Amino acid sequence: MIALRIGLAALFLMIAVTVQTSVLTNVAVAGVTCDLTLIVVIALALSRGPEWGAIAGFMGGLLLDVVPPADHTAGRWALSLAIAGYIAGLIRRETSGSPVGPLGVALTVVLGTAVSFFIYSATGSLLHDPSVDWGEFGVRLGIAAGYDVVGAIVVIPLVMWIMGRVQPARERRRVAP
Amino acid sequence: MLKDLGSPSRSTSSRSTAPRSAFRSAGEAPLRSAGTSRDVRRRRTVLLLVVLACFTLIVLDARRSAGSPVEPLREAAAGVFGPLESTATSARQPVDNLRDRFAEMDRLKAENEKLKKDNEDLTRELTTSDYARNRAQELDKLLKVAPAYTMTPARVIGIGSAQTFSHTVTIDAGTADGVHTDMTVLNGTGLVGRVVRTTQGTATVLLIGDRNSTVGGRLNASMALGFVSGRGEVGGTLDYKLIDPKARPKVGDRIVTWGSSGNAPYVPGVPIGVVTSVTANEGSLGSTATVKPYVDPTRIDTVGVVTGPPARAPRPQLTGKGN
Repeated sequence: MIALRIGLAALFLMIAVTVQTSVLTNVAVAGVTCDLTLIVVIALALSRGPEWGAIAGFMGGLLLDVVPPADHTAGRWALSLAIAGYIAGLIRRETSGSPVGPLGVALTVVLGTAVSFFIYSATGSLLHDPSVDWGEFGVRLGIAAGYDVVGAIVVIPLVMWIMGRVQPARERRRVAP
Repeated sequence: MLKDLGSPSRSTSSRSTAPRSAFRSAGEAPLRSAGTSRDVRRRRTVLLLVVLACFTLIVLDARRSAGSPVEPLREAAAGVFGPLESTATSARQPVDNLRDRFAEMDRLKAENEKLKKDNEDLTRELTTSDYARNRAQELDKLLKVAPAYTMTPARVIGIGSAQTFSHTVTIDAGTADGVHTDMTVLNGTGLVGRVVRTTQGTATVLLIGDRNSTVGGRLNASMALGFVSGRGEVGGTLDYKLIDPKARPKVGDRIVTWGSSGNAPYVPGVPIGVVTSVTANEGSLGSTATVKPYVDPTRIDTVGVVTGPPARAPRPQLTGKGN
């Protein structure tokens, strides 16, 4: 069961990275793409908890760091998404016992977008990456957050439903009621 | 940062377990509370390990010059995701998808021919206006050694998002197709960028609109030399600074590449963009022009990579004959 879950999570992340880099960029709003990988990481974190969030965020971010056309220092998205995933997992724990409501999910996505984008930009600044432009940060964050919520409406229920199907019966009893 | 994340989680977990344990049987309560504190510790260990791994990666990869150990990882990722991105890109165009492979190849061939023809037309167009008026003699020679570059057509299969701040695209041609780093990438309308990273089947192109990009640009009207640098804006707007502080670009002037030695990374004579506004530099001589690129960075699809230089390098030839 655990192998199946890990396999599924890996599959979700790979699909998300592929779609994000090659399909969603064609429907970008002012250049800003829907962070599908972040959404999948948050969905995994919401269904499995902070450890899963952190590890899935690390793996998903690492893929974003190395899959072309990435040209920045590797590890920046990994760090950003790992922390965003961890925080999303904590939100799940806070409300554990009952599933996170739609508003909670939306707020988690907005928070995750803000945290990951901020960490990504901040690490870029620390590494003296000349391409980081804090003047554009606010606008891009706003668009990204809105776009991510739209994407999350479709993706998060799907991922959480599938992850819920492969949950062991013992855990399902503990979370469901 | 770690402490900030850790401290609220402890308080929330202890708060949330308290009412929950009330619902459980009395025998389970101590077991659970021991479990949660172990959970918290394990959780933090995982976070710590992950964050450490990230920092290790960043530190390892930050020293680009020494040859990053992340490179093999990038190669592997490009090997796996290049075909995936290719598939995903073609899947977004159902019309293309319906056609079979041969039709696709025919289309690419036709596109390639059109691309080459467009490029030739553009070069001719450029050379017949201001360029020719200014230096007709040199241009005669230039036309004789006209840059008949060999081009490899490629499709854009991945685009960097604005969130990454970097303006890069992936194309579906790599070292197997003769594409190497520091090669010029252009399309039917003008200069796209240069290749910064290659793998077997894919290449990463740094667009001229990126903040890390600087291209040597020549003003068509006055032949003045300058540098075109990206602003990092989504529309790909460029800044143009002239080397000669007294020369002033005019609105509507066109800029072409002046080429680099050995034709890498930029071949000469490729149109870059048109000057849209000029502002005087504050506190120093000279002026900065805003340049609108001919190539819309958000609408790049088919591009050509200059894989072969002309038979003879045009620039040394020119100066050699001129002197």
